[in-house]
Amino acid sequence: MTDANRTPGEFCGRTRREFLWEAGAGFTSLGLIDMLSRDGVFTGRASGAEVNRLGNPLASKPPMFAPKAKSVIFLFMYGGPSQVDTFDYKPKLYELDGQTIPVKTFGRGGKKNEGRVVGPKWKFKPYGECGKMVSDLFPNLGTCVDDIAFMHSMTADSPIHGSAMLQMNTGKILSGSPCLGSWVNYGLGSENENLPGFVVMLDPTGGPISGAKNWSSGYMPASYQGTILRSAGVPVLDLKRPEGMSGETQRHLLDSLNAYNTDHLASRRDNSNLAARIASYEMAYSMQSHAPEAVDLTRESKETQSLYGLDEDKTRDFGRRCLLARRLVERGVRFIQLYAGGAHNDSNWDAHGDLETNHGYHAGRTDKPIAGLLKDLKRRGLLDETLVIWGGEFGRQPTAEYAKGTGRDHNAYGFTMWMAGGGIKGGTSVGATDELGGTAIEDRFHVKNLHATVLQQLGLDPEHLNYFYNGLDQKLVGVEGAEPIRQIIA
Amino acid sequence: MVPPSPSITHGDLMPRSLLPALLLVILSLSHVLAEEKAPTPEQTRFFESKVRPVLVEQCIKCHGPDKQKAGLRLDSREAVETGGDSGPIVVAGKPDESLLIQALRYEEDGPKMPPSKRLPAEQVEVLTQWVQQGAHWPVETASAPASTIRRGPMVITDNDRAHWAFQPIQRGQLPHVNNPAWATNPVDAFVLAKLDAKGLTANPPASKVALIRRATYDLTGLPPTPQEVDAFVADTSPKAYEALIDRLLASPRYGEKWARHWLDLVRYAETNSYERDNPKPSAWRYRDYVIRAFNDDKPYDRFIREQLAGDELPDKTNDSVIATGYYRLGIWDDEPTDRDQARFDGLDDLVATTGQVFLGLTIDCARCHDHKIDPIPQKDYYKLVSFFNNTNSFRNGGPTDEVPYVEPGRELAYQERVRELELQKNEVREAIAEIEDEFRKGYQAGEKLPKGDIEELRYRFYRDTWTTLPEFDALKPEDSGELPQGLFDLKPRTRDISFGFVFEGTLVVPEEGQYTFTLDSDDGSRLTLGGNIIATDDGIHGLGDPKSAKVTLQRGRVPIRLDYFQKASGLGLAVTWSGPSFPAKFLSAIEPTKTKSKALADLASVIRTDGAKVLGVERFERYRSLVKKAQVLREQEAASESILCITEQGRVAPDTHLMLRGNAHVPGDKVEPGFLAVLGDEKAIIPEPPADAKTTGRRRALADWITSPTNPLTARVIANRLFQHHFGRGIVRSPNNYGVQGDKPTHPELLDWLATELIAQGWHLKPLHRLIMTSQTYQMSSNANPEASAKDPMNDSLWRMDMRRLTAEEIRDSILAVSGQLNLTMSGPGVFPEIPAEVMAGQSIPGRGWGKSSAENQARRSIYVHAKRSLIMPILEGFDQAETDRSSPVRFSTTQPTQALGMINGTFLHKQAATLADRLKREAGDDLNGQVRLALRLTTGRQPAEPEIQRGVRLIQSLETQDGLSRDEARRIYALLALNLNEFLFLD
Repeated sequence: MTDANRTPGEFCGRTRREFLWEAGAGFTSLGLIDMLSRDGVFTGRASGAEVNRLGNPLASKPPMFAPKAKSVIFLFMYGGPSQVDTFDYKPKLYELDGQTIPVKTFGRGGKKNEGRVVGPKWKFKPYGECGKMVSDLFPNLGTCVDDIAFMHSMTADSPIHGSAMLQMNTGKILSGSPCLGSWVNYGLGSENENLPGFVVMLDPTGGPISGAKNWSSGYMPASYQGTILRSAGVPVLDLKRPEGMSGETQRHLLDSLNAYNTDHLASRRDNSNLAARIASYEMAYSMQSHAPEAVDLTRESKETQSLYGLDEDKTRDFGRRCLLARRLVERGVRFIQLYAGGAHNDSNWDAHGDLETNHGYHAGRTDKPIAGLLKDLKRRGLLDETLVIWGGEFGRQPTAEYAKGTGRDHNAYGFTMWMAGGGIKGGTSVGATDELGGTAIEDRFHVKNLHATVLQQLGLDPEHLNYFYNGLDQKLVGVEGAEPIRQIIA
Repeated sequence: MVPPSPSITHGDLMPRSLLPALLLVILSLSHVLAEEKAPTPEQTRFFESKVRPVLVEQCIKCHGPDKQKAGLRLDSREAVETGGDSGPIVVAGKPDESLLIQALRYEEDGPKMPPSKRLPAEQVEVLTQWVQQGAHWPVETASAPASTIRRGPMVITDNDRAHWAFQPIQRGQLPHVNNPAWATNPVDAFVLAKLDAKGLTANPPASKVALIRRATYDLTGLPPTPQEVDAFVADTSPKAYEALIDRLLASPRYGEKWARHWLDLVRYAETNSYERDNPKPSAWRYRDYVIRAFNDDKPYDRFIREQLAGDELPDKTNDSVIATGYYRLGIWDDEPTDRDQARFDGLDDLVATTGQVFLGLTIDCARCHDHKIDPIPQKDYYKLVSFFNNTNSFRNGGPTDEVPYVEPGRELAYQERVRELELQKNEVREAIAEIEDEFRKGYQAGEKLPKGDIEELRYRFYRDTWTTLPEFDALKPEDSGELPQGLFDLKPRTRDISFGFVFEGTLVVPEEGQYTFTLDSDDGSRLTLGGNIIATDDGIHGLGDPKSAKVTLQRGRVPIRLDYFQKASGLGLAVTWSGPSFPAKFLSAIEPTKTKSKALADLASVIRTDGAKVLGVERFERYRSLVKKAQVLREQEAASESILCITEQGRVAPDTHLMLRGNAHVPGDKVEPGFLAVLGDEKAIIPEPPADAKTTGRRRALADWITSPTNPLTARVIANRLFQHHFGRGIVRSPNNYGVQGDKPTHPELLDWLATELIAQGWHLKPLHRLIMTSQTYQMSSNANPEASAKDPMNDSLWRMDMRRLTAEEIRDSILAVSGQLNLTMSGPGVFPEIPAEVMAGQSIPGRGWGKSSAENQARRSIYVHAKRSLIMPILEGFDQAETDRSSPVRFSTTQPTQALGMINGTFLHKQAATLADRLKREAGDDLNGQVRLALRLTTGRQPAEPEIQRGVRLIQSLETQDGLSRDEARRIYALLALNLNEFLFLD
C-alpha cells in the first residue's frame, strides 16, 4: 500500500511499561503490523519483532516456556452442576436419602447447620481403564474418562451466581478485572488475523447473569475482550454487509477510501496508527469471508456431524457449538468459551426446584456433544494441544434446599471440575470431598489453582504473567499467587 | 520470526526493592527479641521432636526461604515472632488468640492453612500445645537460616520523603532560552529550555485549519463547522487565535467535553454491576453537576470540597450535595457473600478513588499490608478509611442514599408543600382505613373473611438494633403472647425502630400439592417451614422485592416460623401463600398505610369484588374515590425528585481499626483520622460537630487537607491532567500514580509552575487552559522531523505536537454533528440509543435495563447516554470508552478490524451516512462536485483539493454505472466513505 521507507523510531528505547502507561500510542490489532511489514511500511531499523511487541497487543507472542497446549475450550456449565450427581461418587449419600443430618452449608439461602440429604438421583458405574465412576447422566462422556483428569476438591469464594461467575472468569469476586481469556490473549496473542482470539458462544436462552462482564477485558484494552460468536446467522456483529451493499460496491468504497487515506498518510508516515487503521479495513474485509467459512458446518462430514449429535434435536444446539469450537481451534483461535445454559433458573444448571428434570435436561443436551468433541479432537491429533475445561461457577449442596423436592442450593465449599487434553494426565482423579460430597477436604484447590493450571499448560508462568495497573503488577492468580494443579499435569 | 522475549513481565525493568529501608527496620528491632529466656531442655525436646517436623513438613514450602507468602516465614524464631503481613501470628500462651492456630483450625472467615488440606488433628494439637506452653523456640545454631524478611512497622525515612512528588511545589525562575522570541509564554520557556539542552528544534506552527480542529476538539469534543474554519482562516488579526480559545472556553460544549475526563476518573456509571446491574437513583445529577462545574469554571478546590464534603459545608447548596454523589458511583454487589467484607470493599473503593484521583497515589495498595513500593504504611490506609467509616453503606436508594431535590429558592415552598401533601395523605389514609375497618367487620360478620391459616400462633418480641437477622433463640425476648387472628402481625411491637419478632405456629395445609410462598419485608425476615428455611429476605432494605419459594406440601399441619427485624426507617411485612385450591392470600396482617408492597393490594381486590355488597353502594363509591385520590397523591410524591448523595450514621464516628491482612473480621490496632505519614503524619483536627449535626465533619477535614495550598500533590495532579488532555500525555505520564513506580515528570519545573499558577489564579481551570493553549508549544505542528525523531522518538521533550485519534465519544458525537443530527440538549436522565439485538443477546434477560429513547434523544451527545456497566454501545466500547469499575486516568487507543466492521457495516453508521447524504443534497444542491466538496469539508474541516473532489465524483459515477446504484444510493456510499476517513478520526 505504500513504498515509503521510514524509520519507525518512535518505538525505540521504550520499555513495555512506558508503553502501557502511555497507552494512547500504537495499540493496533491482530496481524495488522505483520501486514504492514509485508507491505513495506516498516522497513526501518526497528525489527518487526520490536514493533510487534510494542505495537500490537494481539500479535502472536512466544510463551515463557514450552507450552503443552495452544488453545483452550472452556465448557462453562453455568448455574452450577451438582458434583454428587455427576462425577463425585458418594455411595453413602444414597443411604442417607431423606434423613435430616447436621451439615454446614452455605448457599443463596444463607448458612445452615443441618439439612435433609437428597440422595444422588442417578446410578454410577465404572468406565474406561481407569474405572472412573460416572453417573448415568453422562453415558457418552463416560467413554472418554481415560483422557480426563477430574478435580473433586474445587473451592470458590462465593456461593452467589453474580460474584462466583466473575471469580470463575476473572479470578476475583469483584467486578472490573480481565477474564481468563483476556489474560491468555494478552500473554500469547492470536495466531489468526481473521478471527478474534477470545471467542464466547452463548446459550440460545440468553447470556449468563452480569452479561458482558463475563467476557470483559476489565482494565486491559478492549483488544483482549471476548467476542460473541453466533453459531447461526451472522457469526460476528456487523460482519454482514447491510442491505443494498454488494461485495463489489463495498470493494469500490474501500478502494476509494484507501486512496484518500493513503494521500493523508503520505505526509504522516511516521504515525503507524494511520497505516494500521488503513490495514484494519482490509482485515475487516477479509474477515467477512473467513469468519463465515469458519462457522460453516456444512463442510463437515455426516459422520462428524452425528458424532457431535447434530442429527438429534436435543443435542443439535450444543453440538453445533462444540463442533464450531473445534473448527476455531483448527484456525488458531486461542480461547473459546461455550456456555451450556443461559438466562435464569432452569434455563441453566441452577437446579433449585427439581434436580432430576433440570440435570436430566442439561446433561442430556451436552453429554454427546462434549464426548464428540473430545473424540474428534483426539482423532485429529488436536487434543494434545487443546486444553478442554468443564465445570460451573460452583457446585451444589448434598442436602435439599426446601422441605420437599430434590432441588439443591449452591455450594462453593467443594465441587468438581475436569480438564482434558493439552498435556493433562488422563484417567486421573485428584482431591476429595467429605463423605457427603459437600466440602473439599483432600488436596483442596481454589479457582486460582485452576487458572494457574491453564496458564501453565499454555506456557505462561502464572506467577509472572503480569499487567501493570493501579500501581501494581496485577496477576490473574492475585498478589498471593497460586500453584498449578501439578497432580493432573502429564 | 519473533525472537523469544525473556518474559512478558514489564515491571521487571524497574528496581523496586525497598531493601535499604527494610534492613534498617531489621537492625533496629532485632535486639528486642533476643532478651527472652532460653527454653528448658524439655521444651527444646518437644519442639525438635514434635513442632519443628510439622513446620518443616507442612509449612515452610510457602513460608520459608523460597517463598514467603503473606510475608511470613516459619523457619526461625525471629520470623515466627515477627509474623507476616498481618502482624504477629502467635500469642504465647493463648492458642485461641493466635492466628497460626486459628488458621490451622480452619476457623470461619479467616485464613485456612495449609490451604490444600486441613492438618491431621494430632498435628494441630501439637502446635496448639506448643503455643499454649509459650511457643518456645530454641536458640538457633549458627547454621539455622537467618531471617531476611524481618519486618516491623514501616518506618518512613528521609529517603522516602525526598521523592520528588512529596516535595513542596516550587515556582522556579523562567529558564534562559536560546530563542526568547519563541518563548512568549512560560510554558514555552520551560519546553524550549529542554529542547535547547537536547539540541532539538521546535516544530513550526500548525496550519490554521489544523489548529482550529485541534483546539475545538480539545475544548468541546466536536468538529469546527466549515463556517467556523473559514472565519478563523480569514481572521488575520493577531488576536484571532486567542479569541478562538476564549470563544471555545465559553461554549457549554466545553463542560461536556471536560466533564467526560472527570467522569472517567471518578468511575462514573449509572448502574451497580453484578447480576442485576440495577440503575442508581438520580446518578445523572452528578454528571450534570460536573458539566456545570466546568462550564462555570468552579475553582478546583471548591470542586473537591463539594465532592468530598458538600453536605458538611457551611454554605451547602443543592449542587454541593449532588457533588457527594461522588461516593455512590462505584460498583455494588447487592447480595455479597460476606457483608462485613463487602462493607470494607465499599470503603476501599472510596480510598482507592480518592487517593488516585485527588492525590495521584495508590493508597489502596496498602489495604492488606504496607505498600510494597511507596512509603505508605497500612496504617495510612485505615487512617483514610476513618474519614469515611461513619458513612452509611450504599443501599441503592432510600433515605440513606437520597435527599429530596428542591429548586434553589423554593425550599420554603417545598417544605410547605410536603406538609400539605402529608396532611392530605393522612386525611385520605384515615378515611380509607375507616372504610376498610368497616368492610372487615361487615365481611367477618358475614363469615366471609377467613381467619389466618396459622393455628397456635405465638410471638416473641425483641428490642435491639441489628443489621441482619440475629440468632433470636439465643436472646431474651421482651414480651411474648398469642395471635389468635392467625396472622403474622407486627402490632404487638412497642416501637417502630430497632425491634425484632419471632412468630411460631402451625400452618394448616388443606391438601397435597405445590404451594408458593412470598416474603417481603422492611427490613429483614426469614420464613421457616417444617424446620427448613424456605425464603430469606435478610438485611436492611425496603419493601418491593419479594422473595418467593415453591414447596410441595402434604395435607396436614406443618410448623411454621417467621423471624423478622426492623432497624431504622420504614417498616413492613407481607407474607402470602397460594396453593392448588386457592390464589394468593395473606399469612401476615395488613398494614396498608405503612407499606408499599404490591402484595398488599389484595385487601383492595377483595373490596373491589365484594365491597358494594358489604359496604353498600354509597360507601363503596366513596371508598373508590378515596383510593383514586390516594393514587393521585402518591404520584405527586413520586414526582418530587431526589439527589443521590452521601449520608452518615450520626455525629459520632465509630472506632476505626486497622484490619489485619485486609480481612474485615480481624481488627488490629485502633487508628485515628490523620494524613499520610510521608507528608508529615498530621493528625486530623476535627471540630466537635454541633448537637444537631447529622455527620461527623470528618470528610470536611479531609477535604481541607487535600485542598490546602501546601499539599504537594493536589495542584500538581490536576495541572498535569489538564496538560495531559491537551498534549495526549501528562508531564507525568502516570496521572494516577505519583509514587515511586510512577513515571517521573518530563518537565518537573513546568509542572510546578503550572501548579503554582493554578493556585495563584484561585484554582480556576480556564486560565490554565488559556495559558497552555496560547503557548507556541501547543500550536506546533505534528509534522515529522527525522532528526528529532531519532534523538527523541517518544517526543519526551515536546519538539512537536503528537497526533491523536478521537475518543469514542468524540467519534460518535462528530458523526452526529456532521450528519446534522446532533441534539445539543443538555442535562437530564440518561438516554438510550439503539443497541443491536445481537449485543443485547449477551444479557441474561435481553434488553433488561435498556430503554428506547425518541429519535431526537438518541442523537444527544454521548455523555448523556445511560452509563450501564454491563451493557455498552458497540461504537463506544469498540473505540475504547473508559472502563468504569475503577478510576480510569488514561484512555486506550486501539486499532482493530472489528472497529472497521462497525464503521462500514454497522446500523448506526449507515443511518448517519444516509442522513449526511440527504444533507449534502439539501445544502449543496444537485451539483455532484459540490456535494463531494461539502462531505470532505464537513469531515476534514479544510478546503479539499480538486483531485480529491474528482476521486469522489468518480466513485459516485462508477457506483451508478458499474454497480447500478441510483444517485441517492451512490451518494450514501460516499457519505459513508467520508465518515470513515482517517483525516476525520485523527487530529494533526
